Amino acid sequence: MFLITDLLAILAANLILTQALGTSTLFVAAKSRRGLLWTAVNIMLLTTGGSAAAYSIDILLPESAADFRLLLYIAAVGLLYILLLLLLYIISRKSFGERKKYVHLSAFNCAVMGTLLTISGRASGAPELMTLKGYVLAGAEAGFGFILAALILTAAYGRLSSEDTPASFRGFPAMLVYLGLISMAVYTLS
Amino acid sequence: MQNNKLSRSPGFSGFIGNNTVFAELMVISPVIMCGDTLQNAKALIYAFSAVTFISVIICCLLFRLLRRLPYAIRIMTYAAVGSLVYIPIKLLTQSLYPGALSRIGIYFPLLAVNSLIILQTEARFFKMRPFKMTASLVLHILGFDAAIFIMSVIRELFAYGTLNSRMVSSHLLISGLGAPFGGFILLGLLCGLYRRLSGSSSDIAEKADDENKAKESCDVSDN
Repeated sequence: MFLITDLLAILAANLILTQALGTSTLFVAAKSRRGLLWTAVNIMLLTTGGSAAAYSIDILLPESAADFRLLLYIAAVGLLYILLLLLLYIISRKSFGERKKYVHLSAFNCAVMGTLLTISGRASGAPELMTLKGYVLAGAEAGFGFILAALILTAAYGRLSSEDTPASFRGFPAMLVYLGLISMAVYTLS
Repeated sequence: MQNNKLSRSPGFSGFIGNNTVFAELMVISPVIMCGDTLQNAKALIYAFSAVTFISVIICCLLFRLLRRLPYAIRIMTYAAVGSLVYIPIKLLTQSLYPGALSRIGIYFPLLAVNSLIILQTEARFFKMRPFKMTASLVLHILGFDAAIFIMSVIRELFAYGTLNSRMVSSHLLISGLGAPFGGFILLGLLCGLYRRLSGSSSDIAEKADDENKAKESCDVSDN
C-alpha cells in the first residue's frame, strides 16, 4: 500500500508528465532499451548531483547576482558532465565510444536544467525545503520520475511507431497524444 | 512533389519544411506549458528569437577558436554563451512584457539552453556557409515562432474564450486545452496534421520514418 502511495506521489510530481520537461530527450531515449537505460541513469546522476551543487549555489549566491544563477548551474552541470565522461572512460574504454553519446544527450537539456530551476524555485517559496537533503532527494525523485516516464513510453513505443498507426501520426505525433492521455490521468491524481 | 522538394531543401528547412517544433520536436516544453495564451507566446517569441539568434551567431564566431577542443567543452561553452545572452534579454523582456516572466516561470531561463543552441549548432549550422547558416537559423527561429503562435491562438480561443486577453466567445470552451495535457494532445494532433499537409499521401510513411531517423541522428551526436 505504501509502495502504491509512493508511486502515485512520484507520478503526480513527475516533471515530464506535469511540466513537459525533457520530453524530446525522452523520445530519443525511448528508441532503444539500451539508450533508454543509459540516458535515464545519466539524467538521474546529473539531477541528483546537480541539485547538490544547486543547493550550494543558492546558499552562496547573493540576491544581487541572481541573474548569474543559470550560468552557475550550467557550470555545475558541465563539471558533472565531464566527470561522468571521465568515469565512463576509466570504467570501459572499449564501450566509451558507444556510450558517450548518451552522456552528451543527457547533460544540457530541459530535464536536468528544468529540475534544478524547479527545485530552486520551490525552495525559495518554502524555506523548510532549503536543505541539502531536500535538494538531493528532490533531484533523485526527478531522475526516478524520468525513468518511470521512459518506461511508460517504452511500453507503447513499438505500437505507436508500427505500420498499424496511420502514417501521419506514426512515431512522435502519436507518442505526444499518448503522453497527453497519461498526463491527463496524472493531472487527476494531483 | 515540388512541395516535397521545398521541404527537403536546406534553405526552407525549419519553417515550412521540417518545422522546428512540428517536425523536429525541438523546444517543445515552453510550447506545451506556456503556449496557452497569446500574451505568453509574444514574450516567448521575442525572447527565444533574440537569445537563439545572438547565441548561435556568437557561437559561430567562437567556433574557429574552439574547434580543436573536445565536443564536451564546446557544448558547455554554447550553453554558457546562451545563459550570458539571456541576462540582457530577460531585462528587456521585463520592460517590454511586464508580468510575462512570472507567468512563464522556469521556461524562460530554459530558452537559453534550447537544443537549437546546444545541439544543432554542431549538428547543422557549423556545417553550412555563413549566409546559408544565417538563413537556416532565421527559418528555424521563425518555425518556432509560427508554431507557438498557432498553438497559443487555438488554446487561448478554445480554453478561455479570449484572444490576446479580449473576450471573443464563451460558447465552446474546452478548459483542458489550457492544461499541460491539453498542450501535449494538441501538439501531437498538429504534428500529425503538419506531416499530412507537408507531403503527398504516397510518401508520408517514408517521411515519418525519415523524420524519426533524422531526429535521432541530430539529437544524439557521435562526437
